[in-house]
Amino acid sequence: MPYTEKSKKDNISPEIICALATPEGTSALSVIRVSGKGSFEIMEDVMLLERNRLRGMRRKVGNVTENKRIIDEVVAISWPEGRSFTGEEMVEITCHGIPSSVREIIELLIRKGARRAEPGEFTKRAFVNGRMNAVQVIALAASWDKEKDKRTYPGETEQVCRKMLNEIERAREKVEGNIEFGEMHLDSNDESIGNILIELVKKAENFRRIALSIEKSKRVVIMGPANSGKSTLFNVLTGKESALVSEEPGTTRDGSIGYLEIGGRKIQLCDTAGTDGFGLDKAASEAVIKGLDGTERVIWMSEGGRIPPADEVRSKIGEIIEIEAKSDINKKKNNTELIRISSFTGEGLDELKKRISELPGSMSLSGAAKRIEEEIKGAMEYLSSNELDMAAELMNEAEIETRRILGKGENIQISVERALAGMCVGK
Amino acid sequence: MKEEYDVIVVGGGHAGIEAALAARRIECSVILISAKMSRIGEMSCNPAIGGISKGTIVREIDAMDGSMAKSADATRLQFRMLNRRKGPAVWGPRVQSDADAYAREQQKYLRKSGVFVLEDEVTELTGKTERVGGVKCRKKGIIKGKTVILAAGTFLKGRLFRGNELWKGGRIGDISADSLESDLVKRMFHVERFKTGTPARIVRKSVNTDVLEVQKSEKSDFIFSFDNSRISDKEDICYATHTNRDTMEITKEYLHLSPLMAGRIEGTGPRYCPSFEDKVVKFPDRKSHKIYVEPMGYRSRYFYLNGLSSSLPREAQEKMVKSLPGFEKSVISDYGYAVEYSYFHNSEIEDTLKLRRTENVFIAGQICGTSGYEEAAGLGLIAGANGGRAAKGMEPIGMSRMISYIGVMIDDVVRKGADEPYRMFSSRAENRLHLRQDNADRRLYDTANRLGVLSEKKRDKLLENLKEAEKVMNILERETIEGIKMTKWCRRTGNNAEKAVAEVPSLYGMDMKILSSVMLDEKYSGYIRRNLRRHESRRNSEKINLKEIESYMNIDEICWESREALQREKPDTLAEAEKIKGIRPTDLQGLLIYLSRKRSTWNTTDGSER
Ligand SMILES: Cc1cc2nc3c(=O)[nH]c(=O)nc-3n(C[C@H](O)[C@H](O)[C@H](O)COP(=O)(O)OP(=O)(O)OC[C@H]3O[C@@H](n4cnc5c(N)ncnc54)[C@H](O)[C@@H]3O)c2cc1C
Repeated sequence: MPYTEKSKKDNISPEIICALATPEGTSALSVIRVSGKGSFEIMEDVMLLERNRLRGMRRKVGNVTENKRIIDEVVAISWPEGRSFTGEEMVEITCHGIPSSVREIIELLIRKGARRAEPGEFTKRAFVNGRMNAVQVIALAASWDKEKDKRTYPGETEQVCRKMLNEIERAREKVEGNIEFGEMHLDSNDESIGNILIELVKKAENFRRIALSIEKSKRVVIMGPANSGKSTLFNVLTGKESALVSEEPGTTRDGSIGYLEIGGRKIQLCDTAGTDGFGLDKAASEAVIKGLDGTERVIWMSEGGRIPPADEVRSKIGEIIEIEAKSDINKKKNNTELIRISSFTGEGLDELKKRISELPGSMSLSGAAKRIEEEIKGAMEYLSSNELDMAAELMNEAEIETRRILGKGENIQISVERALAGMCVGK
Repeated sequence: MKEEYDVIVVGGGHAGIEAALAARRIECSVILISAKMSRIGEMSCNPAIGGISKGTIVREIDAMDGSMAKSADATRLQFRMLNRRKGPAVWGPRVQSDADAYAREQQKYLRKSGVFVLEDEVTELTGKTERVGGVKCRKKGIIKGKTVILAAGTFLKGRLFRGNELWKGGRIGDISADSLESDLVKRMFHVERFKTGTPARIVRKSVNTDVLEVQKSEKSDFIFSFDNSRISDKEDICYATHTNRDTMEITKEYLHLSPLMAGRIEGTGPRYCPSFEDKVVKFPDRKSHKIYVEPMGYRSRYFYLNGLSSSLPREAQEKMVKSLPGFEKSVISDYGYAVEYSYFHNSEIEDTLKLRRTENVFIAGQICGTSGYEEAAGLGLIAGANGGRAAKGMEPIGMSRMISYIGVMIDDVVRKGADEPYRMFSSRAENRLHLRQDNADRRLYDTANRLGVLSEKKRDKLLENLKEAEKVMNILERETIEGIKMTKWCRRTGNNAEKAVAEVPSLYGMDMKILSSVMLDEKYSGYIRRNLRRHESRRNSEKINLKEIESYMNIDEICWESREALQREKPDTLAEAEKIKGIRPTDLQGLLIYLSRKRSTWNTTDGSER
């Protein structure tokens, strides 16, 4: 990556970030966070403190001053590297909740060398510095999401996952112990392993439920010309008759929404009006296209695959699954690239689901949770058919997967990155 | 005797023998020097070979044309397939051996192979440590060699303990290689101390076997060697008994006299082969422990008490043994004892088993920090092959942990080191489903060929097996049973070779062992592939190329100091970055995040791994 202008002109350090950590607007108190090596120096500067007064874990009351003008009286709490939320040198400034002075303080900090934090950057740093694991980040993100049930707090989810890991480890110890020593030393018997696994299955199911409940669903929008079978597909996939379906073109006016789970991922499926409609339909369709923000995925369907995705859709969405609809009517295969689907015969539905589950970008916490659950259930079956070698293999897999979630495992980590993008600044 | 040898092997234990034979097979001139000719190939401890994963190592040795499997077949008194009801990937063939006959058999292989065997004690290496000239012996003086393979077992500054008794020796009645050890220490090799122990031997006819549980051999056509070696027609009975409250009380009473508890032994012992006093201390709640009573040989006059290893004083051992049912009037012929010895710290060893600081010294067996005959023999074979290759100016070859237990063992020993004598366990192998006893011949064919350790006769036999396996595979891919492709049919629980032959006529006449082995490969194939892929990706992530990163200064995911360090050092790969001082694991992860975002490989991670 080239060395950019931005980082050159920062005179102290390009990596100090700052942002308001409390909600915007007038309130009694607000908290501004500053994080990164050099944060102490900046704070000492703006509070006219001697060097190193904020070193270590300190609490200083004083004025934030610029050119002898006092902006606000604040309390600065400093956290040394390794002990703060982000894991970096960090200062939390508690000031009065007056929007204009908050803004002034932040601008002053920026002039002194900090830069405005990007959404979720504090958390990202916390994650990168090993202060948080994937579960914590995802759970934290979810707990900020206002529509979400607030009862599941971040720590709780992580606890559940940790306990599950402990149990998996215990079960594995038993299985491996039985393999290595069971023959000569008869103190571990299969029955107790069976009981541990039964408990474990419950734990895994519970964890998956929690994972699903805290995880944001991935939005998948079904689009295409009128009467290409969008609503029928929607109904088949979501398993309910919620969309208006008729033989007459253009019956689906308001986008309809349903939820489903594919490959352990929560998917929000949206049915939309035809892209080639008139009047109300046209307006509805245009609104849908306008509303696309690039984070959702699109299933584009047209009868026999004859009509390619609209240009506006193509330019906004990277990943489009194209479908040759109503394959039961159009027997001839037109384009081998497309998935042939018939909502009536069920042709191609499995393939479509597979493609949806493979879509990149959504968080894989619940996907991982589902795999763990399946792995444990599989292990139990193998145990009952006396195949300890296979039972052990699946338990091992479950452990790897769980560790990946709790630690900073390769895949989850990257999804977490994405999850962070939707978070509010300063958290 | 020659002026100079290609390979000098020091020590005629299980490691030394395989090393000498392997070096001979790649046509080196080889001399094996051992303190006592008659004790070459001796089983210092229990009269048995094999076990879970250990038995698989024996078959791996055979796949590379070693002698252990053949000698074990020829001298077995009993056979059992351990874990038979726990899945074929963890089956462990184990034989009860005639210990003396086994040693004689191994000595015969040495003689036949043209290895020159010398009875003498090696007292030091000669020449510079970077490139030694050979060894110096107590009687014969200097012997020159292109490479030296050390396989001194438990003999390096061996100290034997029993209660207050302490004497020098690598095992009872043998020398202690003190001179050689002090030469190695003088040469600044980092050695540490381990200990292990052995139980008492009992006069057979003094035991009332009528009250003991009888353990007979399993009926089976199992043979360790892949080329159908001769199987001993002798069979002997083993027994089992249990310790009781008295055994435990006696042990407790004398515990303070244990050399270990009294702090006279510093070396760490194997957790998995504990002495009986260890068991009493660690499992105070267990009322009883199983003891196997094994004959030392066919109609041998002595029994070995598997499970009652002890270094307590004679008096205590006497009482402990007599507390066992059936042993009330027993007579001890040899008392148990513990041995403490030096071994090489793993930082000294390369994955070819060469000592890092030398060009031509290789080590094998117990002195690598392992324990067990099979482990020693496996290491010996590789050290012998690589030592021989080095003498001939050929590149040494490393072993992959994904295709053999020997590879797992070398990788663990070299990379992780051990804080207790390293014993093989099946769970140490992440690719366990592949590392089975039934397919060792096929797994290791390529490696053995590259090492050059196969005799022509062996290669022909192995090729024959490989061809047969290919034929079987072709049939599995072609045929169906009840409309299911056979490759899939193999995956179902309960489907085996017998059923397959009954259903598919074209399989008729195929070698049943090979058929069932290939079917298992097929059954586990998905999991094996996943393990291999994971291993690859781990290795690849070490190899991740960082050359394209022009500047680290802007990578937000890495902490500031590390950016500077990386910028300064400009590592080529992630593995190199890892070695830079001050770089933390989180920085490496940050780097991975950065790289993957740059290449936007979101969906090539987990989803595709399955
Ligand atoms: C008392 C005792 C208890 C044991 N208990 C266990 C146990 O519980 N479980 C287990 O798995 N294993 C046990 N073993 C270990 C087992 O015997 C070894 O793992 C195995 O024999 C190692 O093989 P090796 O070839 O490395 O060495 P060894 O079999 O020890 O052979 C070494 C050979 O080298 C020769 N030698 C050594 N130094 C010199 C020299 N300087 N000059 C010439 N010749 C030399 C010796 O004479 C000997 O022949 C025990 C060993 C002993 C002695």
